[in-house]
Amino acid sequence: MKKILSFILAVVAAISMSSCSNTDQPESSSQLIVGSVSALNADMMDGWTNSAPNKSIKALLNGYETVSYTREGFFEVNKTAVKEFSDEENDDGSKTFTITLQPGLTFSDGSPITAKDYVFNILLYSSPEFGALEADNFSGIDYVGFEEFHSGETRTFSGIRLLGEDTFSITVKAENFPYYFELSYAGVSPLPTSVIAPGVEISDDGEGATLSEEFTVDLFRETILDSETGYRYYPKVNAGPYCLEEYDPATKQASLVLNPNFLGNYEGQKPSIEKLIIKSVTDATMMDELAAASVGLLTQVSGTAIDRGLDLAEEGKVEYATYLRAGYGRIAFAANHGPTQSAAVRQAIAYCLDRDEFARQYSGGHARVVDGYYGLSQREYRENREALESELIHYIYDLDKARELLVADGWTKNASGGEFQEGVDTLRYKEENGQLVPLIIKWANTANNPVSDLINTMLPGEMAKVGMELQATSMEMGKLLSELQQAEGQNYHMFNLGTGFGSISAVWYYYNPDLKNFGGSYNSNFLADEELYQLALEMKATEPGDTEAWDAKWLQFQKRWNQLLPDIPLYSDDYHDFFTPRLQNYTPDGLWTWENAILYAELQ
Amino acid sequence: MGRYLARRLLYMIFVFFVVSILLFGIYKLVPGDPARLMLDSTLATTDPERYEAMYEAARERLGLNDPIPIQYLKWIGNMLTGNFGYSSVYRMDVIDMVAAPMKNTILLNLAALVLVFCITIPLGIAAAVRKNSLFDHTIQVGTIVGYSLPAFLIALVLIFLLAVKVPAFPISGVTTPGFQGNAFQKALDVLYHMCLPLLVLALSSAGGLTRYVRAAMIDALRMDCIRTARAKGLREKVVIYTHAFRNALIPMVTILTGWFVGVFGGSVVIETIFLWNGIGKVLVDSLRQQDFSVVLAMQMFYVVLTLAGNLLMDLGYCLADPRVKLN
Repeated sequence: MKKILSFILAVVAAISMSSCSNTDQPESSSQLIVGSVSALNADMMDGWTNSAPNKSIKALLNGYETVSYTREGFFEVNKTAVKEFSDEENDDGSKTFTITLQPGLTFSDGSPITAKDYVFNILLYSSPEFGALEADNFSGIDYVGFEEFHSGETRTFSGIRLLGEDTFSITVKAENFPYYFELSYAGVSPLPTSVIAPGVEISDDGEGATLSEEFTVDLFRETILDSETGYRYYPKVNAGPYCLEEYDPATKQASLVLNPNFLGNYEGQKPSIEKLIIKSVTDATMMDELAAASVGLLTQVSGTAIDRGLDLAEEGKVEYATYLRAGYGRIAFAANHGPTQSAAVRQAIAYCLDRDEFARQYSGGHARVVDGYYGLSQREYRENREALESELIHYIYDLDKARELLVADGWTKNASGGEFQEGVDTLRYKEENGQLVPLIIKWANTANNPVSDLINTMLPGEMAKVGMELQATSMEMGKLLSELQQAEGQNYHMFNLGTGFGSISAVWYYYNPDLKNFGGSYNSNFLADEELYQLALEMKATEPGDTEAWDAKWLQFQKRWNQLLPDIPLYSDDYHDFFTPRLQNYTPDGLWTWENAILYAELQ
Repeated sequence: MGRYLARRLLYMIFVFFVVSILLFGIYKLVPGDPARLMLDSTLATTDPERYEAMYEAARERLGLNDPIPIQYLKWIGNMLTGNFGYSSVYRMDVIDMVAAPMKNTILLNLAALVLVFCITIPLGIAAAVRKNSLFDHTIQVGTIVGYSLPAFLIALVLIFLLAVKVPAFPISGVTTPGFQGNAFQKALDVLYHMCLPLLVLALSSAGGLTRYVRAAMIDALRMDCIRTARAKGLREKVVIYTHAFRNALIPMVTILTGWFVGVFGGSVVIETIFLWNGIGKVLVDSLRQQDFSVVLAMQMFYVVLTLAGNLLMDLGYCLADPRVKLN
C-alpha cells in the first residue's frame, strides 16, 4: 500500500515539476491571454455560429472594411482601404455606391487585395452554393438583383459591379431609403478569392458581377468545410490585424499572431501585441486566473465579481477599465393581451418596484437604472443625458401612484363586481364587455437566474398591496423565448431577460405595429402604437450625417417610449475589464469592445 | 452460448427501437423552437427580412416542416447509416462536434478508472483483512467523508489549496495557452492539467468503491472455502488474493461495468469547474440550447453502450465465476 501511494505521489510530483519546467510562461512579454466566460467554438468564418468570443476573433481576422464603425459611434468610410467613395441616386430610387480601393492593400500572405476580393465576399455570402454548406447566405439581400442570384436563377448579381482592378460598386434597393445609416449598406470586407475559390473567375460584362462555372458546392466542401484545412475553421489568409495561428477544438483555445502586412484600421492604427490567446474561464475562478497570471485580460465583468477584481486592483495585482453597458436587463411586457395591454398597468407595475434598490442589490452597486430604450454607452445617451433626465419619467417606488393609475384605468371592482375596498379585497377587477377581468399578471422567467430571484423577492408583495397578483412560472430560456414571441399562444404577460444595442438600433422594426409580420422576433412586446412607429420612421428617414436632427427625433422617440413603457428597464451594468498591469493604453467602451481597443494597447 | 448471444442481441435491438421512439417523442414534446435558437438573434432586430428568410431555411434544414413520424423515420434511418445528425447550435455534423470533447472525457475517465481501482481495491482488501482494526476504522471514516462531500466542494477546495495558495497546478483548462513543445512535452502538459480534476474524481469516487470492495471481501473471507484453504496451510497472501478476492470479484464486475459505461459519460461538475472540454458539459449545454440532434445521438449512444455493457457484465460473471451459467 505504502509503495503504491508513494508511486502515485511520485508520478504526480514528476508531472507537476516537469510540466512547470517545460511550460512557457502563460503571460510572456509578447502575448496576452484573453479570458472569455462564453465558450469558443471552431467557426472562424461568417455564415455559421456567432458566439461572443468567435465574433471577436472574426473582427480581428477581418480588416480593410469599406465602412467602419468609429469609437465615437458613427459610420464612416475607411480611408485606409478606400481611396475614392461616391454615391449616386438612381431613377428608380435605388442608390449606387462606387468604391475605389487604396493601392498597396495586401492579405496576410502578401498577395494583393483587389476589387474582385470585395465583390467575391458579397457573391459568396449570397450564393446558393454557400447555402448548400448549411451556411447563412443572405448577406446581399438589400442589394438589387439578390433574389435572382440567390435562387440560382443566374450567376450574375446585377446590383454588384466589378468595374476594374481596384473599383467596384454596390446598388442598394430603393425600398431601403431614406435611411440615416445608409452608409452601412456599403460596408464590405475582402475575402481571399484565390484561397477560398481557386480557379474561379469573376467577370463583368456590364450586367453585373458574374461567377464562372468553377464556383461549385464541391469546391467549397474542400476549401471551406474540410475539417483540417477548410477556411471555416482555419482561415490562414486574411486581411485583418491578426492571423489565426491555431485553434484547438480539444481545448477550445485560439491563438492569433500579428498580421505583418496590415496597414491599420480606419485611423491607420496597427496593433503591437504580438500574440493573443483566447481561452475560456469560469465566473467562479476567473479572478484567481488573473491573479495567477494565467489570463491577462477579462472583459465585460459584471455584478459582484467586480468586487473581487477591485480587491486585486487595490493590491496592485491588476488594473481595470470601466465603461457602461450598451444594453439593459429588463422586464418585458406583452402589450397585446391581458392586463398589460394597458400602459397604465405597465406603469403601475413599474411604480411597485424600487428599481434603484433592485439595481444596487443585483449588481452590488455596479449598475445604473435607465428610463428609456437605450444603453448608457450609446452616443445618443451621452449627448442628450440632461434632456433625458429632465424629460423622461423616472419610475420610482410609489404605491400611491400605482393605485392612482389603476383606478384611472378602471381597475376598481372586486371579485363580486362591487367596488374594490382597500384592506378588504385583495385583487382588483375591471369590467370589460360585461365580464370581470382579474388583475393577474402571468410572469414567465428562467430558473436559477438571480434577476428572477430578486424580482420574486421584491415585486409580488408590493403588487399585492395595490391589488395586483403576480403568478410566476419558471422555464428554460428556449421556452421563454418561444412564449415571448407568442409562438405557443398568449400565455404570459410579463417576462424578464436582457437586451443589447448594436451599432444600429433599428427601432422601426422593433416597434412596427404590423404585428402579423413583425410581432415576435422583431416587435417582441407586440406593441402597436402608431405614434411611436411614426417617430421611429422619422428617425430612419433623417438625412445621413444630420446628427442634430437624429438626436432630436431620438429624444422624441424615447419620451413616447417612456410613457408607453413596453419594458421596465431594471439595470444597465457598469462593465469592468480587468487586466494585467503590463497592458497599457487599453481603453474599451460599451460599443468599442476589447477587439477594437486592443489595437491601441501595448504590453510592457 | 451462441443461442444466448443471439437472443440477447435481438433483445437489444428491440429495446433500442423502443427507447429511440420514446426519446424522440419526448424531445418533440419539449416546447421551444430550435430553428430560432439556431440563428443569431441580433439579426432579428437589424434585418428582419434576412432573419425571416434564414429562419425558414433553418426550419427546412432541420426538417421541422415534416410531420413527426416522417421526422422520426428520417432521423432513425440516418442514425442507422452512420449519420448522427446536425447540430443546430454548432452548425456542424454531430459526429464532428462531439469528437474532441469525447476524446477528453475518455482520457480523463480512463485515467480516473485506473487510479481509482489501483487505490480502492488494495485499500478495500487491506481494510477487510484488518477488519475492526485502527486502520480499518480510519479507512471507514475517511471513505465516509470522501463520498459525503460533493465533488464541486472538493474541487473548489483543491483549486484554492493547490492552484491559488500553493500554485502547483493550473486552475483550469486542458493545456497551457500558447504552449510550445514536442509531442511528449505536450502530453505531459495535458497530464499536468489533468492532475487536479483527476484528484477530485478519485477522491469523490474512491470512498464508495473502497467500502464496496471491503464489504465484498469480508463476505468472501467468511466463506467455507477460505477456511478450508487456510486449513490446507496455504500462505495468507494466496488465500486473500487468489481465493477470497476471486470470490469477491462478482460484485466488483458489476461496478466495473458501470464504470466502463461511465468512461464515455462526462462529469458536468468537473468539466465546468476545471473547464475540461468534455462530453458532459456538451450534453447539458445541448439540452439547454435545444440542440436535440446532439442530445438524441449521445443518448442513443449511451443506450447502446448500456445494453452492450450489460451483456459484457453477464459474460464477465462467467469468467469470474465458473459456476455462473449464461442460460
